Amino acid sequence: MAVKDDVAVVGVPMMNGSATVEGFVPARDATVVTRLLAPEVRRQYDAALGLPVGTMLVGRRSEDTTCLRVAHAFEELSGGFPRPAGPLTSRHVRGPHGGDPRTCPVAGCVTGRSRSGNDHRPDLRGTGDRARVGCRTQQPSPPEVPVRRTRLLPLAAAAALLLTACGGGGESVDTGGGGGGGGEGGTLVAAVAAQPDQFDPHVTTAYPSFQVLENVYDTLVVPSAEDLTFEPSLATEWETSEDALTWTFTLREDVTFHDGSEFDSADVVYSYNRIIDEELSNSFRFANVESVAADGPQTVVITLSQPTPNLLERIGSFKGMAILPENAAEDIDLTTEANGTGPFQLESSDSSSTVLTAFEDYWGGAPSVGGVEFRYITEPAAALTALQNGEVQWTDNVPPQQIESLEGDDSVELQTTPSVDYWYMSMNYARAPFDNRDVRRAISFAIDREAVAEAAWFGAAQANQTAIPEDSFFYHDYAPFQPDPDQARQLLQQAGVQTPLTMGLMVTDEFPETVTAAQVIASQLEPIGIDVEIETLDFATWLDRQGQGDYDAFYLGWLGNLDPAAYYQEQHQTGGPNNYQGYSNPQVDQLLQQGATETDDAARKAAYDQAAEIIVDDVSYLYLYNPDVVQAWAPGLSGYQIRADKAINFESVELP
Amino acid sequence: MIVFALVQLVPGDPIRLALGTRFDQETYDALLARSGLDQPLVQQYFSWAGRALTGDLGVSFRSGETVTSQIAERLPATLTLAVASILVALVIAIPLGTLSALRPRSVVDRVATVLSQIGISVPEFWMAIVLILVFAGTLGWLPSGGYVPLTDDPVGWLRRLVMPAVVTGVVSGSVITRFVRSSVLEALGADHVRTAQAKGLTSRQVFTWHVLRNALLPLVTITGVQLAYLLSGVVVVEIVFSWPGLGQLALQAVQARDYPVLQGAILLFAVVFLVINLVVDLLYTAIDPRIRR
Repeated sequence: MAVKDDVAVVGVPMMNGSATVEGFVPARDATVVTRLLAPEVRRQYDAALGLPVGTMLVGRRSEDTTCLRVAHAFEELSGGFPRPAGPLTSRHVRGPHGGDPRTCPVAGCVTGRSRSGNDHRPDLRGTGDRARVGCRTQQPSPPEVPVRRTRLLPLAAAAALLLTACGGGGESVDTGGGGGGGGEGGTLVAAVAAQPDQFDPHVTTAYPSFQVLENVYDTLVVPSAEDLTFEPSLATEWETSEDALTWTFTLREDVTFHDGSEFDSADVVYSYNRIIDEELSNSFRFANVESVAADGPQTVVITLSQPTPNLLERIGSFKGMAILPENAAEDIDLTTEANGTGPFQLESSDSSSTVLTAFEDYWGGAPSVGGVEFRYITEPAAALTALQNGEVQWTDNVPPQQIESLEGDDSVELQTTPSVDYWYMSMNYARAPFDNRDVRRAISFAIDREAVAEAAWFGAAQANQTAIPEDSFFYHDYAPFQPDPDQARQLLQQAGVQTPLTMGLMVTDEFPETVTAAQVIASQLEPIGIDVEIETLDFATWLDRQGQGDYDAFYLGWLGNLDPAAYYQEQHQTGGPNNYQGYSNPQVDQLLQQGATETDDAARKAAYDQAAEIIVDDVSYLYLYNPDVVQAWAPGLSGYQIRADKAINFESVELP
Repeated sequence: MIVFALVQLVPGDPIRLALGTRFDQETYDALLARSGLDQPLVQQYFSWAGRALTGDLGVSFRSGETVTSQIAERLPATLTLAVASILVALVIAIPLGTLSALRPRSVVDRVATVLSQIGISVPEFWMAIVLILVFAGTLGWLPSGGYVPLTDDPVGWLRRLVMPAVVTGVVSGSVITRFVRSSVLEALGADHVRTAQAKGLTSRQVFTWHVLRNALLPLVTITGVQLAYLLSGVVVVEIVFSWPGLGQLALQAVQARDYPVLQGAILLFAVVFLVINLVVDLLYTAIDPRIRR
């Protein structure tokens, strides 16, 4: 008797007809071998073949010829395939296709591979009666293994249990991670849209950083929450010399930094000179400053090269002009640590949140909350949900499309106020036909600013044809362009422009609302024969192309403006650093220069009003709207004031 | 080298971006010199590669922190989410895939096929927002997002992990389900299974030793691929659930053109892919003796 070489026999190398397993020596006998070797089986064979019990040998060859020889030997000896009778029962021979145990695979030869099958054994092909040669080949069988479903149920049940365990949790509302009230005035958790990039106020330009730094550092003067005019902070008073070239600031006494050191004039001199000497990102704000000097510990003198009526705005509009302690850059790592004079100290910051704790020795009195956690929740819907279920108590990340529905919602206190930001479109003066004033005016006449504002902010924006919002002292009511497609078409004709004219409009997905609003602009320009191709770019590419002048038109905004110089000067002066469109009008230059040095507010406003009218008429910028500041907080939260400049100050906030 | 060149070739200038829209040539030049971007590209590459070999991936332009510390800070969150997602995926995929393979064209199979099709096609951000609105909003059972380390707050950790892990797990699981189904079907049809049945093994033995073990090979491959994908950060899910993982970091680095961070992250992803492929190959030999030599 023999078994084929693809049936495992302990100690006998097997190949399975494939070189890949050559040399494989099984460590276990195949079931069939085990059975063949079972003493009772051997006894039966001995008996069936009429041999003395115990004669049967175990062979170790695998050649077909051997197999056949054995088979023929069977035939000769017994005159047929033996049908074992007796103790072989279904207990011994089990299996789905075993069939009648009496026809069980007790055979001289068992083939295991049907693919090579009997192809290499032509002598077996067509013999018709394989059993007669003692070889049991596999029955064709469906590939289905009848594993009962119950076998898998425990697994599925385990999965269900696991999920329940995760989902259960026990309590209903999570307050872990510092949320909720309780303990030392409690911690206010504020959901902000993004992580601060770093904490060096003189280096960073990112709004998420300033949201935090606003509460940590102070400036000499600050914009008031009511009307954004400048009021004392670290400086208690200031005076200007006759020629308007020398400003003398008197500093507040008894101010300490978070590390306990005293604040004095040397800190101011150090901070300002750091910005100037290292040419940090805000050094342009000191363009007119000749020197910053201390005159005793409580006095700082700033000397200017030309009168600068907006000096307070230059040094106080935001915490980018923060006062650091002397040598702070050497003493601590300003990118990750902070040492300010503000109401809160920087406790820690990681990739999920930034934590501030109240500074008990704050010169304005310790804040009423024990600390603030700024938690980064980028997705507005998630931020709003977190506010509604009490995980956070404040957010400025409100989905604009939900503003209206939230106004009647008791679970959330929502407030809006017009911001000092403005959004505009600008066309490239270096590219025909946009160098033509009539073409630009035609486009200005075709655009319905209300509709654009609605598309961008769902009503949370005020259409405006100039830059400065209505609430500002410097607002100038000037709106010469009412939507008028006929006049627009006429202007295009007058300019001799062939329609349809294709205009690329560059927007950035950094501000997704502009992408939506650009589509409205495109639909408004289509009737006058201008085919707008919207180019949506990431901000880095966008800025690159703006810098290279590679565009027909772009759509962007200026944020956080407080002074008319910030609104108009750099953008519209000939060769101004942000005059990308290439606008040049000597009359505007002269008016802007006059505004920049005029110290009388009324005369200053008159100069800027006049400049604004020319800028609007020439369509240097095509002003669109001022968006609202939208913030929401938990009902009952008090002491917080929403501000047009989007500064977020939690100094006097009280938890519900 | 390719990574380095590609990253630098992307249009957009990190210094301009850091300055924002307000542009000033002197400040620009000062920042450029400080970042080392004014050096020739080849020189930049060799100094970067040299330092990278010693484990120094440089300093982020944006935050001023070292790249290694930024990556190290986010690695635990990414690992947690990736492992949890793969677990969810396998818990879904193996039973579902096997069941539908065992009963091809049955109701179970059809339901599983439809479910996995839905899992593959539904956008992750949509599923994520729906989960937040339902489980954090309406039901209030789970926090809407965020991450706390396991060591700080195990319960909070688990509660924050559930939703992101389910979203990514369902997506990966849907893909894996299909692989399980087809590889189990294939294994069932293989000759050795017939042999196994023929030699009289119980269906359970046949299934565990002959079908499942053979079906495991493609499963290991696809699970490895999915794990590598999950480890390189699932940007959308991380953003919606405020999960501070590597995907977010890489996205921020791309947006800010923060070359050192981006190069560091890509280098890490490459290493992750290599390691996972190695582990997959090693697993092959453990599962399949034929490959052992």
